[in-house]
Amino acid sequence: MSLREKITGQLGSISAMPVVVGKLRHLLSDPDVEFRKLSEVLKYDPGMTTNILRLANSAYFGFRTQVNTVTQAISRLGLKRMSELVMTAAIGPIMQRPLKGYEVPAGGLWRHSIAVAIATEHLAGQLNIPVPEDAFTAGLLHDIGKMVLGTFIEVDTDPIMKLVDEKKIPFDEAEREILGIDHAEVGSLLLKKWNLPESLVNVTRWHHAPHLCEEKSVVLNLVHIADSISLMSGIGTGQDGLAYNISKEATDIIPINIKIIESCAVFTMQKVSELSELFETN
Amino acid sequence: MMKTVGISDLCISDNKEDIIVTYSLGSCIGVTVYDPVVHVGALIHCMLPLSKMYPDKSDINPYMFVDTGMTKMLQAVYDLGAKRDRLIVKVAGGASLLDKKRMFRIGERNYSVTRKVLWKNNLLIAAEDVGGSKSRTVILNMNTGRTSIKNKGLEVEL
Repeated sequence: MSLREKITGQLGSISAMPVVVGKLRHLLSDPDVEFRKLSEVLKYDPGMTTNILRLANSAYFGFRTQVNTVTQAISRLGLKRMSELVMTAAIGPIMQRPLKGYEVPAGGLWRHSIAVAIATEHLAGQLNIPVPEDAFTAGLLHDIGKMVLGTFIEVDTDPIMKLVDEKKIPFDEAEREILGIDHAEVGSLLLKKWNLPESLVNVTRWHHAPHLCEEKSVVLNLVHIADSISLMSGIGTGQDGLAYNISKEATDIIPINIKIIESCAVFTMQKVSELSELFETN
Repeated sequence: MMKTVGISDLCISDNKEDIIVTYSLGSCIGVTVYDPVVHVGALIHCMLPLSKMYPDKSDINPYMFVDTGMTKMLQAVYDLGAKRDRLIVKVAGGASLLDKKRMFRIGERNYSVTRKVLWKNNLLIAAEDVGGSKSRTVILNMNTGRTSIKNKGLEVEL
């Protein structure tokens, strides 16, 4: 059995996305959703409700008065934001573990993921691009493949790093040479398994090479740039460091410059702990 | 005591028992200074080169920027009795992504502003590990003054 087959074979053993996430996201996609239905779904998952309320009450959203119920949260944040919070609340607890091979400490991948989610939205705002649907969620999930390789499979990254050093190639290219698959593809396979929309699967799949994605996607290009900014800032950066390509095509399409890059880094740095600390256990 | 320096953070010490560490310097720059006679030292982790682009932000946290952060650090160690002619300065970080258009040159600029600030202060760099695309963890031992880079559990003196 090849290493690739071994890795993809293990995807089945990773806990499924909580059923409640699919149900809630489905309900929240309907602008006329009845709040009663949402409450019914959440009734069976008190942990989820707690996490959603913790997020809604975080400094990031800056409400002066406490949000006490999910219904209140929806009326203040709106359905789109709520859908993102559901995903954040579900994914937060499982992204806390250290990534052994990648030398990312506990909470590191989570901080990086939150940083990319925040930076993606911020970039869209700075560039006057209407914030696309699921931009935050796309940023949040882009590196989920690292969680699979780093915690469930605990790949040995020594030979990968050796190749990066010797051949001066990007880390994901070295992953493909050694493992037969890279963390971006592993992540996309997991998201497919979780029945998440194609648009999210594509962002995860191509976040290091957006030009290779057949579907043109603004979110994908934004996540690519947001990821680059977060890696440079060292938020949850691991053994792989900065050994990734910047896509010329993405930066041709998205009109960024050094000022926007730096101010995005400043904004993200200031905001990241407001959300990430909510789930940190250490 | 183990002390951790976060991103855009500074730690100053005159305690020989301190070990000061900063994790995962990407494009950020880490600078250690140490006076072996009085055992005063510091480690700073700056994210961006120049504060002038963000006058309001630098009021909040001067350590975010190389220009304001380094100046504060040097003043702080001098206040604790360190002398400029005894100060050992080491620099690490300033890595870059693989960027053909060279648009994301924060690492390079962090390094060049660091050099400029040191030069203005009549300080030389004793050792450095900068550039490339590596993420670096830097440790300053306040007892020996040893600055090292840690990678995969292995510490190498700078």
